[in-house]
Amino acid sequence: MPVGRVGWRTRFEGTGGASVSDLKLNRKQLFAAGAGLALAGYGISGCTVERPLDRSAAGDIVEPKIDGDLLIFNWAQYMDPALKKEFGEKYGVKVSEVNFDNLEAMVTKLRAGGKYDLIFPSSEYVKRLKNEQLIRQFDRAEVPNAATLSPYYDSPWYDPNSEFSLPYAYYTTGIAWRTDQVTGMTESWNDMSNESAFGRIFMLDDFQEGIGQANLINGFYLNTEKSDELEVSKETLLEQKKGLRGFSTNTAQNLVSGAAAITQAWNGDVVNARNQVDDPSMFAYETCKEGVPVGTDSMAIPITAKSPGTALLFMNWMLKPENAFRNVMWNGYPQPVAGGREAFAKLVKDDPSIDVNLDELSNTSMEFRLENPDARREWTRLWTEVKA
Amino acid sequence: MNTVSAFDKPHFLRIFTGLVYLFLFVPIAVVVLFSFNSQKSLQVMDGLSLRWYEDFWNDPTLRDSLFTSIEIALITMVVATVLGTALAIGLVRARSGTSSSANVLMLVPLITPEIVAGISALLIFSQLGIALSFWTIVLAHITFSISYVTIVVRGRLASIGLDVEEAAQDLGASRWGSVRLVLVPALWPAVVAAGLLIFALSFDDFVLSFFTTGEQTQPLPVRIWSMIRFGVSPTVNAVGTVMMVVSISAVALAVLIPRLFGRRESGVKVLTGSEG
Amino acid sequence: MNASRFWNWFVYPGALWIALLFAVPLFLVLALSFGHVDDLGRGVYGFQLTNYADVFNATYVPVLLRSVGYALITVILCLGIGYPAAYFIARFGGKYRYALVAALVIPFFVNYLVRTYAWVALLADEGLINNAIVDLGLTQAPIQMINTPFAVIGGLVYGYIIFMILPLYVSIERMDPSIVEAGKDLYGSPFQTFIHVTLPATQPGILAGSVLVFLPTVGDFVSAQLLGGPDTYMVGNLIQDQFFAASDWPFGSALTVVMMLFLAVWMVLYLRRATRGEAEVL
Repeated sequence: MPVGRVGWRTRFEGTGGASVSDLKLNRKQLFAAGAGLALAGYGISGCTVERPLDRSAAGDIVEPKIDGDLLIFNWAQYMDPALKKEFGEKYGVKVSEVNFDNLEAMVTKLRAGGKYDLIFPSSEYVKRLKNEQLIRQFDRAEVPNAATLSPYYDSPWYDPNSEFSLPYAYYTTGIAWRTDQVTGMTESWNDMSNESAFGRIFMLDDFQEGIGQANLINGFYLNTEKSDELEVSKETLLEQKKGLRGFSTNTAQNLVSGAAAITQAWNGDVVNARNQVDDPSMFAYETCKEGVPVGTDSMAIPITAKSPGTALLFMNWMLKPENAFRNVMWNGYPQPVAGGREAFAKLVKDDPSIDVNLDELSNTSMEFRLENPDARREWTRLWTEVKA
Repeated sequence: MNTVSAFDKPHFLRIFTGLVYLFLFVPIAVVVLFSFNSQKSLQVMDGLSLRWYEDFWNDPTLRDSLFTSIEIALITMVVATVLGTALAIGLVRARSGTSSSANVLMLVPLITPEIVAGISALLIFSQLGIALSFWTIVLAHITFSISYVTIVVRGRLASIGLDVEEAAQDLGASRWGSVRLVLVPALWPAVVAAGLLIFALSFDDFVLSFFTTGEQTQPLPVRIWSMIRFGVSPTVNAVGTVMMVVSISAVALAVLIPRLFGRRESGVKVLTGSEG
Repeated sequence: MNASRFWNWFVYPGALWIALLFAVPLFLVLALSFGHVDDLGRGVYGFQLTNYADVFNATYVPVLLRSVGYALITVILCLGIGYPAAYFIARFGGKYRYALVAALVIPFFVNYLVRTYAWVALLADEGLINNAIVDLGLTQAPIQMINTPFAVIGGLVYGYIIFMILPLYVSIERMDPSIVEAGKDLYGSPFQTFIHVTLPATQPGILAGSVLVFLPTVGDFVSAQLLGGPDTYMVGNLIQDQFFAASDWPFGSALTVVMMLFLAVWMVLYLRRATRGEAEVL
């Protein structure tokens, strides 16, 4: 007996545990099992993973009336909790919120049958969801506070009659940096590889923002679908990656904690970072001459909503001027509605570069949109390869 | 003993082990300490306050998440403990083809990376058209808790001989009666301890919940994930401290309950998975 | 009803539950890995090998190797840190032995995300450790500790070391101290005794601990997400992204299947030992 076994009691002695080798599978059984699996595989081939949702509500117009508690599905830290609370108190409903990390995850949960009442898709996602009959139609005239929205949103490209969505906030994408540590910023996307910040640069962990800025550097269309151009942009990204410290959407935290010297950023997060420090001038923000990606996050009501009427009332609530003012002061992102515009002007009066010129919004070539599913796959795959 | 090796020299080992405990506890001490910080800073401690606990309590979504996590853990605990205990009894007592296959089946979830478990759960629910919800999280948690219970209870079962049961049957008890009258009472401490461990594991679980969470209130760890990834507030420290108190209470009970039943060592043996 | 059939009824509910909600879904993952994505981004089952061809292209293989490499380093570090500690507690813990083990377990029951996040606060450029060493004048500028492979591996060690220490503790405690004495007479030097007696006697604990650390580590995505940098992407992150960021479930499934193949040898080894009663089961 080897020494190692002395004094050592086997563990399941007498406990009736059987061993893998007791499962005497002969070749015939193995073959049968394999054939069974293959047959089962054949049986389900061609099936989609997801079951179709109940779309019977498609076509019905949502009425603004309290029809139950409200469940909001939103980005984290994007809405002042006090506004939810006050809405709940005023209308006698419970308002809850859950969060998503990115829009694709939002769609995944929606398709999996999640019964959310209010979601916050970007423009191209409004169009996708509308085409898939995943969001519901309403009458904009029933939302009185929509009257003060910027005229651009009367008929945006993704929702021509503005009957499926109303804008919540808008933003630009640019570059933020530490003024005490970085020199030689040039208002160009090439600053993403500024040598004075080498190794301390963050890129947004978002496939469109990442690939988009590379396209702009190379002089391509922001949403190019040409494979040869995307190949060039991939090389640009791999080159930029050498100076990166990470891919992250946690911009304010990265700036405030000192991890980032330079970071690709949404303008609202720069406002957040500036609000968190004693000397706001330590963070600056620039938009780039090659092109400024702009975007709008909208409010929409999913087809599966249990309380669509409450959701519509809540949209009106968020567009009320004093509420918009408070919400902007809270989350740092501009809202294109009376109150929201004034609040943002107040927030950015020290640094106009953070402001968004509404004319920029009408330049739809600067908004992310990949309507061709094959192009979308190519983009996501390319992004995965860059990150890998 | 003329020559003394490093492994026989408790001085060296004592210091080394002390450092290991330091490594394990410093990060946790940081979380607890900063949860009482009166500043927003995560770097500088500046006076004590309860403001982050107030923030936690005054945020209805976080509060709902806390209760959701507790509910999930309670239901998981009850169902998994019943199924896992029955499975343990069956595996030890039955000597059949069924039980040997079941034994292997039972062990596989324990050694499968959680991400695989999460994906599998997401796929089966999508395939069956079951909308992701509170209950899908519970179902997924139960699936991966059964095996833990089985292992813990089986450890205890191994130390109970067949003779007591046989004696009971000789005295006229039916087979089912002997289970009820002899086996269940003897196993009770281990069952309770296993249940409490499952409570703590389910309460803390992130990965499975992340894949199976649906429209209802998200469990606390999923909420923490969002908080960490977007604009951290020190409230996370308060949430983490509260979670720690809840799950460590459950574990402490798991260790103490067998002691109350008069078995001095079995509490720790439950944790280490060792047999009585 | 005969005895065996009676006891089988105890097995069925739990076994069926695991079969339906674990084994069947695993088969779905396998089936979907041969599928493709339709125009709406939904997974469709099929019989294609394209996902596997993609997995084995030059971009993803390094990610797989990196994950396995990080996991192996984690196992070695856990063993190096855990063995002396487990040995001390088991042999010299005396009456405090159980209290010491209980204390080891406590950190494990703090939420994994919170624990990992605590390391962010400690390791950040303007975090507690850097502030301390800069204040002490040890360095001029902060040292970059976070967003590095070291931070990721450190996070993994911290996250999973308990799975190493507990089985080690059990097998060291179970070892008969007299064989060490006997070994000393036989081999003379303490080092030789350790190699020839202690190590083989505790080999089941080493094996179980290594497998129990290795398996979850390979699939981890939290540590790399929170502590990693641009070059620390692990297969867990890749899979997670396919499901929740890229909406390519079939490719995510293929990655999962390949990862499981990497783990299969270890899993079978462990199952054989565990079912024969030769390994500690946590």
